[in-house]
Amino acid sequence: MSGRKFKSNETVDFVVVGSGAAGGVIARELSRAGFSVLVFEQGPRLSATDFEHDELKYFFLNGITNDAKHGPQTFRKLPTETAHPVFGGFLPATYARIVGGSSTHYTANFWRFHEIDFNEKSVLGSIPGTGFADWPITYQDLEPYYTMVDWEVGVSGLAGASPFDPPRSKPYPMPPLPVKSSGVLLERGARKLGLHPFPAPMAIASQAYRGRGPCVHCGFCMGFGCEARAKSSSLYNMIPEAEATGRCEIRAQSYVFRVEVNAQGRTTGVHYFDADKKEHFQPARTVVLSANGAETARLLLNSTSNRFAQGLANSSGLVGKYLMFNQGSGAQGIFEHELNEYKSVQVTRILHDYYNSDPKRGFYGGGGIDARINPQPALWALASGGDLPRWGSEFKARLEAFPRAMASTGHTTSLPVEANSVSIDPTLKDAWGIPAIRVTYKDHPDDMATARFFQDRSYEILEAAGAQKIWRDAVEENVAGVHLLGTARMGNDPKTSVVDKFHRTHDVPNLFLCDGSSFVTSGRGQPTMTIQALAFRAADHIGQFAKRNEI
Amino acid sequence: MNSSDGNQDDNSRRSFLLSGGSWLTGAWIASQWPSIAAAAHHAEQMPLDTKPAALQFLSAANAADIEAVCAQIVPSGATPGAREAHAVHFIDKSLSTYFAGMAPDYLKGLAEFQAQFRSANQGVASFAATSPDAQEAFLKAHDRTPFFETTRMLTVLGMFSSPKYGGNYQGQGWKLLGFVDQHAFAPPFGYYDAEYKGFVPYAAEKHA
Repeated sequence: MSGRKFKSNETVDFVVVGSGAAGGVIARELSRAGFSVLVFEQGPRLSATDFEHDELKYFFLNGITNDAKHGPQTFRKLPTETAHPVFGGFLPATYARIVGGSSTHYTANFWRFHEIDFNEKSVLGSIPGTGFADWPITYQDLEPYYTMVDWEVGVSGLAGASPFDPPRSKPYPMPPLPVKSSGVLLERGARKLGLHPFPAPMAIASQAYRGRGPCVHCGFCMGFGCEARAKSSSLYNMIPEAEATGRCEIRAQSYVFRVEVNAQGRTTGVHYFDADKKEHFQPARTVVLSANGAETARLLLNSTSNRFAQGLANSSGLVGKYLMFNQGSGAQGIFEHELNEYKSVQVTRILHDYYNSDPKRGFYGGGGIDARINPQPALWALASGGDLPRWGSEFKARLEAFPRAMASTGHTTSLPVEANSVSIDPTLKDAWGIPAIRVTYKDHPDDMATARFFQDRSYEILEAAGAQKIWRDAVEENVAGVHLLGTARMGNDPKTSVVDKFHRTHDVPNLFLCDGSSFVTSGRGQPTMTIQALAFRAADHIGQFAKRNEI
Repeated sequence: MNSSDGNQDDNSRRSFLLSGGSWLTGAWIASQWPSIAAAAHHAEQMPLDTKPAALQFLSAANAADIEAVCAQIVPSGATPGAREAHAVHFIDKSLSTYFAGMAPDYLKGLAEFQAQFRSANQGVASFAATSPDAQEAFLKAHDRTPFFETTRMLTVLGMFSSPKYGGNYQGQGWKLLGFVDQHAFAPPFGYYDAEYKGFVPYAAEKHA
């Protein structure tokens, strides 16, 4: 790999823990600003040629995701229960454990948040039993950085296509990806109902872009690494661009397990295990945690000391709390002719007509609807619950209808509930002997009501589009998530938040947190674009603080 | 069994296939999935041949019963079913390698299934030996057990995973679906996008 190699024990300007959506951006921006940056990634470094079209490996054998063998986790629904280990398959807090993090395996839906996402509490009022709150920043604060994501990361879309879109300062750098039959049918059904479907913004190159080729429409996006380098993953843009500065090293298979602080309450660096499980200390002037909403919280909670007995940067007691997974629901339709949804990107049309919460519905919540399918064969065949046939001739008929099938899917809000959390399991340890993650999660009743509301809307759209047969998926409570949000929320008040509006922890002046943990509310189910916009903004301010000697 | 034990069972069974909110929206949580230990990662060591292999793990009698259940889940007919896709060979291989952790529970479930069948069908040698209609009738009353749910999942994986894992013989599972395993496609992808006339912008209305 190219890039700088720091000597062992050499003090760097910045240690960044995590190389994913946020860590990649922060590493590139700070190294471009002239600082020395060392990025730690617990997983291995893979390249495009290492990725495969292999559904069993990626979805059932943890091909690139965190697994129980390395990092077991426990789960419970309520704090009154004892959490129990989850042994196989996807863990309660799932992420891609490789260089590039979950930006490598994401589906790449890149919606911006709307203005309302940042001040929804002021508009709607408090929601009892939740930590529903405004963000300390506005959409206008973040807009320039959303535009940086569009252009620096690489997003395909059509500006102005949705009448619900928030204002933008620049169009997309690439046109939308070619529409699929599911997109055409969603558009047909939705327009009949008076709705406003539009080309989906996707972080996938629709044409050659900055040294990467365009999408070849292989269909293996969600859950897979892109073999064509068309998906705009940190692995393909931010990481190599950071290394190209000559000031950044990516240290893969290096697992940070503790952040160190000195007597003055400042961080001095991180402790980590190398690939041979040998322990090291890496000194740094400033530490940025971008390890994702589960691992950032765990790292803080495991970094206890006399001064920080309940975990680092946790004077509020809120580290790990307000975990939000997003909810979702859908329906599947069979049409007369072939759609062949297994080809190309997962989503080409979405709509935001139900984005805002509407008090008339009787519950809080909103979201977006898209046209898609679980595109790989086994995932599609395993769909169960709702009124889907499970075996026998009816099941086989559904299998045979695969080329004529599509789904309409809602992506919806999760309320911040304090009991929903990442905490440290009292007994379980990981493969390195470090205390493991315990996830506590039960969807708020409004989140479930919203998911059911969106399923009804999806059903109507498929019906209006002319589906011959429609099945409803089950609407289930989350027992796991890949959107790991809210566990170190940002805010102005140190009593009710963990980081300030520049992602600096209230308690430790040279410790910053930037990833899904910073979220105050959940958005509508597509968080990565906002994680990256926050990262560009955080890096901008952190760089300025460092230059002014204000860290 | 107290309620928290019940919960453990439920949670770990459900954990094998999880609906991660909007990533895997829809319900493909296998609600009766038996507890399994961490799956070993032997995928890379799987032989690449696609010939129906000799059984490595299951006894011939057990394999016959499992295959009969598989064939009820995806019956044979004008298009290939689980039998033609050699789903049982995938099951045999997976239980001795990457799904080895779940093998003890699975075999226990199979033994219970066989015992239930025998007590309900005095004089019939085995589930595999009875008629397809009788098999279907029996399964209708036993299709919510961990054994059945596991067999359903393994049948699907055995039909639609890459043939290198021992099932999906000659791509017959993919043929049944109409799935083409190819590394690049070009638009139009289907009937409806071929006739699409292009995105028509909305009038200059602006919504909240």
